[in-house]
Amino acid sequence: MTETGPGRSIALWGTLTAVLSTAAIVGAFLVAPEDADQGIIQRIFYFHVAIAITSMVAFAVAFVAGVLYLRKRERRFDEIGVVSIGLGVLFSALTVLTGSIWAKASWGIWWQWSDPRLVTYAIVVLLYVSYFMLRSSVDGERQARYSAIFSVVAFASVPLSFYAVRVAQSFIHPVVFTQSGANMPNTMLVWFVVSQVAMLCLFITLLKLELLQRRVDQALGELKLRLEASRPV
Amino acid sequence: MTAASRQFRALLLKDLRLELRTRQTAIAMVLFAVVAMMAFQFGFGFRVDDTTPLAGGILWATLALTAVLGVGRSFVPEREQRVLDGLLLAPVSRNLLLVARAASVFVYLVVVEVITVPLVTVFFVQDPAATDFALIAVVCVAANFGISILGSLLAAMAVFSRARELLLPVLFLPALLPVIIASAGATHAVLGVSNDMPEYQGYVLFLLVYAVIFALVAYATYDHVFDD
Repeated sequence: MTETGPGRSIALWGTLTAVLSTAAIVGAFLVAPEDADQGIIQRIFYFHVAIAITSMVAFAVAFVAGVLYLRKRERRFDEIGVVSIGLGVLFSALTVLTGSIWAKASWGIWWQWSDPRLVTYAIVVLLYVSYFMLRSSVDGERQARYSAIFSVVAFASVPLSFYAVRVAQSFIHPVVFTQSGANMPNTMLVWFVVSQVAMLCLFITLLKLELLQRRVDQALGELKLRLEASRPV
Repeated sequence: MTAASRQFRALLLKDLRLELRTRQTAIAMVLFAVVAMMAFQFGFGFRVDDTTPLAGGILWATLALTAVLGVGRSFVPEREQRVLDGLLLAPVSRNLLLVARAASVFVYLVVVEVITVPLVTVFFVQDPAATDFALIAVVCVAANFGISILGSLLAAMAVFSRARELLLPVLFLPALLPVIIASAGATHAVLGVSNDMPEYQGYVLFLLVYAVIFALVAYATYDHVFDD
């Protein structure tokens, strides 16, 4: 019964994610005060920003895993890297989607090229999708090595893309988090934090689930090979 | 002259001599750049009266696409004639291989820019000033550092992959977008009637920061490309 440990840990994280997500949905839609300026559409902020930050956390995890793989050459770091980037791309795509919905409601258009964050996320999605092209065209140990190198390159270009887009365009995106703190009332901030923690828990749950699935797949493959080898001719 | 500088000189001369004999990469890059510029003109140039505001964008989108082509092409002899195997067996630091490759890509880019920049100003800019060329030359040099360093790192990985010709643009272009944004911005700031020097300087500084960051990334990771 060696799989009880990871299974239980995933169940715990899953339960935590479900509870926090429910709390975040209830809090964001029913408890948090309505924005005087934007009305109900501002409530997308609780999810849009939380998803965006989670995607960056996923890419940061992949970057650290990439560096660790290059130093230690352990397969588990490659697995953490590929799963994190997969989840990061998913969260980035959701960021672009929710941002686009917010843009339509606030500015009347689905896409705004002068919004640096939305454009940066579109670049980031392109950048990290190409990671999977690289992976699919290289095999074996080289696949893990090149993936690790590219996760470092891609992570370095995220802030550069953001800065380049930001200075090139007039800044119309609502700035919620400034250097002097969060630009919103505490009742809003509480529900944002709940939503953010829920998203991070969701990321951890999905990461653990995917890693477990990969290990089970690998074990199953090895078992099949052993069975075929032991079969009488 | 130290051993490293002798090795660097030999590697760079090897690339340049090969190019002078075959004349494949630089000429193909120049022709491609001219055709790409014309494609931009036919795509949207006819729809505006003054193309000056578009000139920076046309120049740098063209140069970025040309750079992808040139960087990929520069690795072809290495692959087809197994030059890389010989280089990897030689007692030369891997990072020196990267620096030499980046230097030869830098030279190819300069050759393309010497022809492309005047053509863009003739085709797309109304009343270009002589000082514009000097200012754009600085942008070219600053952008070339980042393009050649990152391109050499990514092309070294792409050369060992199955979909190499297709993979390099897919990997390289998204990472090159900040360079396109900043170079086009800097060119736009100084082309035409008004010169916005603070904006120009900011973009050039950004290009140098980009080059330094990717030089550090390449320095830290290039060894691992050839680990096998």
